[in-house]
Amino acid sequence: MLRLLALRARAQWPLLAALLTVVMVGPTLLGICALLVTRTAEQALEAAVSRAAPDDVDVTAYTMTVRGPDARSVADDTRGVLTSALAPFAATTAARASSVMRSLPATRAGGDGVPAETYLSSVEDLPARAQLTIGRWPRATADAAKHAAPLEAVVLQPTAQVLGLTLGSRVHLGSELSSDPAPAVDVTVVGVVRPLPGTGWDRDPLTAAGYDLAYQDGRSVRPVHAYGPFVVDLADLLTGGSTIDQLEIIAHPDLSAPTRRGLDTVAEAMPGADRRLARTLGDRVRIERVASRLPLTLLAANDQQRVTAAAVLAVAVLGSVLTATALALAGRLTAGVRADETALLSALGVSRGQLAAAATVEAGTLAVLAAALAIPASSALHAGLTHLPPMAGAGLAVQPGVTGVQVLAVAGGALALAAVLVVLAVRPAPAVSDRRRRRELLARSGADLLLVAFAAAGWWQLHSQPTGSSSRADAVLVLAPALLLTAGSALALRLVLPALRGADRLARRARGLVLPLAAFEAARRPQAVAAGLLIGLTCAAGTFGIGFDATWQRSQHDQADLSVGTDLALTLTTPPVTGQGAAVSAATGGAVSPVTDRGIAVGQWLGSAGDPPRLVAVDTSRAEDLLRGRLNGGRSWTDVGAALAPPTRATGVAVPVGAALTLTGTATGASPLTVTPRLLLQDATGLRTPCTGAPVPLDGRAHPLPACATAEGLRLVAVSLPVTAGVTAPGNVSIGSPYTFDEPLAGDSRVAVTLTVPGAPASAGTAPRSPWTATSAAPAPGQLVDPAVALTSTPAGTQLRMTTTVKLEGPPDAARNLVATAFPAPGPVPAAVSARFADEVGAQRGSRLSLTVGTTPVPISVTEVLPTVPSAPGAAAVLTDLDTLSRALVVSGNLEFPVDAWWVGHPAQGDAAVRVTALHLGTVTTRAAETARLTGGPLRAGLPAALRLLVPASALLLLAGVVLHVTCDLQIRALEVARLRGLGMSRREIRTVLLGQHVGVLLPLHAAGAAVGAFATGIIAPLLVRSDIGAAPVPAALASWPWAPEAALLALLLAGCTLAVAAVVTVQARRADVAHLRVAS
Amino acid sequence: MSAGPTVRPLLTVRGVHRRFGTGPTAVQALRDVSFDVAAGTMVALVGRSGSGKTTLLNIIGGLDRPDAGTVLVDGTDVTALDEDGLSRLRREKVAYVFQTFGLIPVLSAAENVGAPLRLARTPPEERERRVELLLELVGLADHAQQRPGELSGGQQQRVAIARALAASPRLLIADEPTGQLDAETGLSVMALLRGVVESEGVTVLVSTHDPVMIALADRAIRIVDGQVDGRFEGQVDGQVDGRATS
Repeated sequence: MLRLLALRARAQWPLLAALLTVVMVGPTLLGICALLVTRTAEQALEAAVSRAAPDDVDVTAYTMTVRGPDARSVADDTRGVLTSALAPFAATTAARASSVMRSLPATRAGGDGVPAETYLSSVEDLPARAQLTIGRWPRATADAAKHAAPLEAVVLQPTAQVLGLTLGSRVHLGSELSSDPAPAVDVTVVGVVRPLPGTGWDRDPLTAAGYDLAYQDGRSVRPVHAYGPFVVDLADLLTGGSTIDQLEIIAHPDLSAPTRRGLDTVAEAMPGADRRLARTLGDRVRIERVASRLPLTLLAANDQQRVTAAAVLAVAVLGSVLTATALALAGRLTAGVRADETALLSALGVSRGQLAAAATVEAGTLAVLAAALAIPASSALHAGLTHLPPMAGAGLAVQPGVTGVQVLAVAGGALALAAVLVVLAVRPAPAVSDRRRRRELLARSGADLLLVAFAAAGWWQLHSQPTGSSSRADAVLVLAPALLLTAGSALALRLVLPALRGADRLARRARGLVLPLAAFEAARRPQAVAAGLLIGLTCAAGTFGIGFDATWQRSQHDQADLSVGTDLALTLTTPPVTGQGAAVSAATGGAVSPVTDRGIAVGQWLGSAGDPPRLVAVDTSRAEDLLRGRLNGGRSWTDVGAALAPPTRATGVAVPVGAALTLTGTATGASPLTVTPRLLLQDATGLRTPCTGAPVPLDGRAHPLPACATAEGLRLVAVSLPVTAGVTAPGNVSIGSPYTFDEPLAGDSRVAVTLTVPGAPASAGTAPRSPWTATSAAPAPGQLVDPAVALTSTPAGTQLRMTTTVKLEGPPDAARNLVATAFPAPGPVPAAVSARFADEVGAQRGSRLSLTVGTTPVPISVTEVLPTVPSAPGAAAVLTDLDTLSRALVVSGNLEFPVDAWWVGHPAQGDAAVRVTALHLGTVTTRAAETARLTGGPLRAGLPAALRLLVPASALLLLAGVVLHVTCDLQIRALEVARLRGLGMSRREIRTVLLGQHVGVLLPLHAAGAAVGAFATGIIAPLLVRSDIGAAPVPAALASWPWAPEAALLALLLAGCTLAVAAVVTVQARRADVAHLRVAS
Repeated sequence: MSAGPTVRPLLTVRGVHRRFGTGPTAVQALRDVSFDVAAGTMVALVGRSGSGKTTLLNIIGGLDRPDAGTVLVDGTDVTALDEDGLSRLRREKVAYVFQTFGLIPVLSAAENVGAPLRLARTPPEERERRVELLLELVGLADHAQQRPGELSGGQQQRVAIARALAASPRLLIADEPTGQLDAETGLSVMALLRGVVESEGVTVLVSTHDPVMIALADRAIRIVDGQVDGRFEGQVDGQVDGRATS
């Protein structure tokens, strides 16, 4: 038998070579996928972690209230706990500490009787967190001189300004305000610094403001004045005996070359770090806690890895199904070619068992050869794939290598395919009797139905998978595409046959022979569609691969668009200042708008923990330029923004830079009254900045206001005049003081206040003059009667005259706040809400709700429900116009402009993100970077790569299958072809018949395959797309069918098949000659 | 060499040589074969297997080319025709009946018969009428829609004959038409060919080694080792009313 096999192999080597090629494709694909989900996945995890932002991997230990003598040891022990928790990775640590409050002598601050406090602070690596504006950095005091010499310190600019500190200033800090106070200490100011945004100053007790005149220190309900910090060297602070209020140690692991094992070790160690720290520190500290996003970062990375692995495995399964289908065809064709030989052997007495043994030996040999070739091929192809985008860009390029899992996958795949060959070789001959044929037909129909049922179940599972991150759907994710495509192709094949029969009917009525004969052959010969399933399935898989890739890519773009909400977002770490917008605009060259993006309360509803309702307010008059994110129903952001934007812009009064504004006021009645003017100035980017003046007595004299106009192009858009009783000395800061009457008064006072803006008259400039409106602000608007405002132009400039009658009666704490605005009261703020917001609060179009922005309630009116709001994907969020929101706040007496970010649309500068980052204003996020992260990040890059692998694999299997099929078909029909010549058909006509019949089959099968691919793309591709954490993407993925690539693929496949068929047909038509007739006859 | 003395020959074969292969293994299939066949006669080409009958028929039908010599069919020099000319010849003047029937499996009996008419681009109505007539002629009108696989060997050969006659050829070449049939069926097929000669006026050149079949022919030509055996050539014996009976 072995000799027979050897002889047959020599005689049929082209056939065996074709079989070997087909058998090799599947295991090669499996090998590549195995490498993608093991070697590449591990590398991706390591690359992703090594690229993670410091905030995502740093581990911070917070300790509170550390007695002075313990400070050093607590710091050292905390560092030890953190570094051991991060082992085996090396870690660097940085400490930030601040002492408890100390009293600040009255000689240095205040004078108004309010206690003043200050504190010491220290920050390791201070030069990286602050910018020295003058002086030098503090140095540690020598141990010997520690108790005698003053400590060297630097202070923040505002502290220096408020306390009048200069270089060399010596400040005496009183004893600590604690139960066990450390003694007083002296410091010498050696420098003044400016804190850098995003460097942890938000955790400073005064959030790096430098002072707080209404600081609640927790010891009394009465606010105090707090100043600081005095930033000294860490060693001085920790060994100087000061009680440490907050000690923060941040450990940064070196993850530049992480290993999977090391990451697993850290992930296991992190949860116990808190407990270990508590055990180590004991009662030396009152509170201790370890916080880190590292476990979450690793968990998210694992989730992403799992999602990608599921998709890669889905490709592997699909590739295996394709290979098995191709091999089934090849096996059937081989059995057909060898039918006579098998019959002869059986007739000679060879048993079925012996035939099976021979088939097993042959298939086994093929499997071994295929595996031997597939292992290096898969290694080489995998390495090649990693050197192409997006994997190369994700840092995943590797040299060819062999892994155990890869070898197992290849060997398993090859053996499984060999088993298919054996089964086909030993199966009974095709049915000849009607009864058996009917039975086989029934079985095939049953198999089709079963496939359809499984596919439907898979789709349903996918459709009903949870929106959150879950591993439950992974098996479905892996199997569903193969099931659906196979079932679809099997069904489509059933539909192609009636179509061919339709062509048959048309051909019967035709006059000629060539094309009708092609149609007859295509429609009537079962062998003609033997490759039907393979052709349909490969076309479906190829087109689905492209469609899924496009759907996935589009979804990542959509997610990135919505996540960032604009082209470039600069999230501020400190409130913006006038002129900042111009700087951002210059750096980017795009449309710039200040933006509110913060959590709010809606009535009594605060949302769930860590997920408050979001308010996004932006300049909606430029919505199309600024907002990104997909809208449904063909709507544009211009449509949305048009319903939100105010009808006209507030132009106000132009205030020339450096203009000296004056305020003159009079009040009737016996009680002296004072107003504390607050001006709201708007710059060219729409940023409104409040400028508060000192209290001005309404004594009929002109009082200068602070220099509010610090930049070009400012316009005064609102003035707030809280009226208080009595007279405060000008120049005294009264930040945070309530505008109240200290004692109950009686009667009314007619108040008239004139604000003079020198320089250009109100009518100057291009902006039209906007009407001014006067309002009595909430919460007690009745305390001001007949508020009015008038704008006049005088030679001295523009004068804004505000009048009202103040009711002096009433609750002493009732606000009497006259607000004049360059716009009318907006009423309820038009707002578009997200679908989730609408669901949560039961809102619909026209609903009236109340948002709390800061402490100010703002009524809103829902204009429409959006799928989701830009920058707040999936959140309960409200989108409003920032100008309108600001107007609503202003007429309520709140002149704060709630800005948290700058958004930039269509940045013209290619390096806009770098330029904006260089401004050191906050965190920069770009839509392009987010898209790149989502589509080409290390943990995501495997998916598009695998999908792109599926397309050529499908094409290869299709071509191999078609060539094999056509060759075998024509060999079997060689005699028939010769007879056609005998009938008088020329070689050209014979070629046309053969080509026509094959193309006649290929064309509808390609079309059917493409239809199945399109159908699968439409119904399951969006369900297969998951977000980077394995949850349903927001916005929901939409199927994408890129016509051009799909058409190109189909054209290529069809052209390739046609070329292959044409080549085989030409050879066969030439060969099918008189020799065949002679032999047969 | 011989020729019909009284009728203009439809087929003239002169000095045909055909050799297969080269060198010592070369086989000389035909050597200087020459003969004429009169129009409207049925001529049997007789010889043992491997004698060169099929090679000669293929050369006459334009399926093969001789190394030397000429073949004139109805005045057309077959050996001088190019590929298209040969195809035209087979469509218009020469028809084949093969030993294995040569029917196209996917076509019904009627469609097989209509195939040459389709090649001639005959209008469908006329084609259908002609097909019906021919199937009537071969006695298979009731089997028109059956495919070759559903017909017996004899029926298939009848369909093949009907197909051969469809385009009204001048010469019908039948290569062992009864080789796969039992004696009775073979006889009926030969009788049908005989009848066709008489009713359609077609010239039939049939190869066979069955003496009974030879008896039905007007004349027999014996091929031995690729050469015409002059001793055997001539009118066959036992003709009754122009038709062989034994």
